[in-house]
Amino acid sequence: MEAATNSTPVDYLPILLQMLVAVGFGVTTIIGTHLIGPKLRTENKLSSFESGIEVIGNARQPVSIKYFMVAILFVIFDVEVIFMYPWAVNFRSLGMEGLIEMFIFMGLLLLGFIYVIKKRALEWD
Amino acid sequence: METIVKDMQGIPLNHYLLLSSVIFSIGVIGVLTRRNVIIIMMSIELMLNAVNLLLAAFSVYHGDASGQVFVFFVMALAAAEVAVGLAIIVMVYRNTRSIDINSLNKLKW
Amino acid sequence: MSLFYFVAFLSIFFSLMVIITKNPVHSVLYLVITFFTFTVHYVLLNAQFLAVVNFIVYMGAIMVLFLFVLMLLNLNKETEPMKSVLIKVIGAVAGMCLLVTVAGSIRAMEVSDPLILKNPDIGLVSSLGKVLFNEFLLPFEISSLLLLTAMVGAVLLAKKEQKSI
Repeated sequence: MEAATNSTPVDYLPILLQMLVAVGFGVTTIIGTHLIGPKLRTENKLSSFESGIEVIGNARQPVSIKYFMVAILFVIFDVEVIFMYPWAVNFRSLGMEGLIEMFIFMGLLLLGFIYVIKKRALEWD
Repeated sequence: METIVKDMQGIPLNHYLLLSSVIFSIGVIGVLTRRNVIIIMMSIELMLNAVNLLLAAFSVYHGDASGQVFVFFVMALAAAEVAVGLAIIVMVYRNTRSIDINSLNKLKW
Repeated sequence: MSLFYFVAFLSIFFSLMVIITKNPVHSVLYLVITFFTFTVHYVLLNAQFLAVVNFIVYMGAIMVLFLFVLMLLNLNKETEPMKSVLIKVIGAVAGMCLLVTVAGSIRAMEVSDPLILKNPDIGLVSSLGKVLFNEFLLPFEISSLLLLTAMVGAVLLAKKEQKSI
């Protein structure tokens, strides 16, 4: 288990297998229900269900801008995390120096986060 | 199983170069031919990814990890570019109600 | 060997579909598949951490952002603008010219050595971390500055200002 030093693409075979099983399960259930289930197509069944009320307008309503702010900040912090994995793995060998370097990195990003909080970009008013 | 691993190696570097340049050119064509701003940005992402793949291939070819480290920086750049670019698109859409690239020709002389 | 060519064919095909399809949502989904084929390429190159990062950042984060913007911008069929046929043909020809030029220069260089994995540990997290925190320390710190700028810029641009009338 510890011998991850010379891992090859073959080690990803279990992940591939799992993905195959997941995708296969989804596809077979969807196709299976289509094949097995009875089909009665009436006007009411084909219309989209909106709690019994008549459908009004388009389904493509524009989403609020607040979600977009959350998504943008998620992307930025996600990228930050990819720099943290190599640091965390080498934490011991980098020692104090690495800690300080990482603190500078995190400090700058924290500055941005403080700006976001001050700007009330994440608040739902 | 080992034969699969052996097969994975031994691809000429030329073919990686060719694949990357094909995808980069597809990105260029996308930028030139589409008018939807979002698809133009997606084509730029395609170009960045082609370069990433080439950097990784060169890094393996030379046995040097710096190429793969460089991909991280490209990814950070791509994330920053996407965040700011999409924010600009949202602003433009809010003001002009269109994502046509030709609605942005106001700066043209 | 043949696996590489199969995946390469898939990535070229799906990246073509990205720029061909008219519906922007389909385009985003094709781009997700293209990025997935890139992840497979990284696994084949034994760049394992890169594969995981590509999976997380590109397919997870950036694509979600694109889909979000598409949802935000209330796109119906009529709002999709199309360029004239002439401009499309000219653009395609220009792109093909670029491809032919690059391919020709690659051919002239003649680097057809096979890609042999000299050092299988190269794509692991620990070896990448060592390089990142020794040789690439300054770019690493500067990239935090880049991310800070992007954060501030995005918030400043996209945040709806309070009406101060």
